[in-house]
Amino acid sequence: MDQNGKGHGQPVVVIVDDEEMVITSVRAFLSLETEYDIHGFTDPEEAVRFLETSPADVIVSDYLMPKMNGIQLLGKAKQLQPEAARVLLTGHADKQSAIQAINEVGLFQYLEKPWDNSQLLLVIQSAIERTQLFRSLREKITELDAAHGSLKDVQSRLLRAFL
Amino acid sequence: MVLGGLNNMSDPAVMDEGKGASLDALREEIELTHRKLAEAHKMASLGRLSAGIVHEINTPIGSILSNNETIRRSLETLKKLVAKSQSEGQPLPERATVILDTLANLTDIDKLACERIYAVIRSLKTFARVNESDLRKVDLHETILNTLKLSGCVFRRRVTVITNFADLPEIECYPGLMNQAFLNLIVNAAQSIQDEGTITVSTRLDGDSVEISIADTGSGIPPEVRKRIFVAGFTTKPIGEGTGLGLSLTREIVEDTHGGKIWFQTELGKGTTFFVRIPIQQPRRQEQA
Repeated sequence: MDQNGKGHGQPVVVIVDDEEMVITSVRAFLSLETEYDIHGFTDPEEAVRFLETSPADVIVSDYLMPKMNGIQLLGKAKQLQPEAARVLLTGHADKQSAIQAINEVGLFQYLEKPWDNSQLLLVIQSAIERTQLFRSLREKITELDAAHGSLKDVQSRLLRAFL
Repeated sequence: MVLGGLNNMSDPAVMDEGKGASLDALREEIELTHRKLAEAHKMASLGRLSAGIVHEINTPIGSILSNNETIRRSLETLKKLVAKSQSEGQPLPERATVILDTLANLTDIDKLACERIYAVIRSLKTFARVNESDLRKVDLHETILNTLKLSGCVFRRRVTVITNFADLPEIECYPGLMNQAFLNLIVNAAQSIQDEGTITVSTRLDGDSVEISIADTGSGIPPEVRKRIFVAGFTTKPIGEGTGLGLSLTREIVEDTHGGKIWFQTELGKGTTFFVRIPIQQPRRQEQA
């Protein structure tokens, strides 16, 4: 289920773990330390449905889950929102398979359980920063494209006027 | 007995005198080797399970550690807030109430997380009663549930377990061996399921015996393999995964040690059901002493 957080243009953090207790712990920690808009899902398919309609800044996912593993989920997230940073938070036993799959989905960071709160916060902060940098870069490129387009327009009008 | 075959290979002259003694020594050695193999097999299964157990413990521990860290930080904030409002003679600010609620919530989760760690460790302890070699009356359902809990660490996320327990009296058995027998059958059932499936464990009372069935929705046993599955040293699993001793030991534990019976029904692509029948009471066997 999705328990909605704060909204109001704050960075959006999506947490996916089939263990409710992990979501509760991370949510409690983040909501006391930050103003992030936090969305937690125990069902990865529900998380995908959320990502289809709502933009996120960072997605933190467990690896071993029923229906869909973390790499598959983050792969879908990459298709839906390539700019949103992807973080894997996983137990030790599935480390090997997770590492093999990291390149497939372009992981921003890999964290192991039990996790350290300050490290998790640091990773989420830099992930959000990176996502927002990507977004503003894309805006700047769009602006440049527009400026380039209008310059070309002016140029062609100039040419038409003088030739 | 089978050992008669060995006599023919020895020199008759030497054999006559030392025959009894050397045969006894040989039998003892075989028995010892056999016990060693059983123990090695048990340790191998435990080793494979331990990886899953560690994973299973890491999540609740992660949660507890995170909560404790959050509680610690929050308490510092809370202290400052309370000190500030008290020095200004004001009532408790709203932020303080929110923090207090969150802390109460986290304490609940910590309790749940601790209970889970305790349950995993408890089932591990029950299973590892290696030296429990005396006949004892046990609740078979407790034995099965413990084994399911322990082995579930490895396959919980892809295999659904259904239990269909009848009313059973306590049965007399060697609990450590019984654990081993059920663990083998349950792990085999889980391994035969490729992706997702179901294991159904049922029990019923049948006269002076109990019958336990372990049914999986796995791949089934191919016809060419069926005759050999109870043979020691035979395995279809990759190197490192199977010792080829699991089912042969399970058969020995059920039939030789407990005077029971083990058999199976299987259909390719549909699954396999193993049946185990064990007498409620063990006969008093004097010659076994």
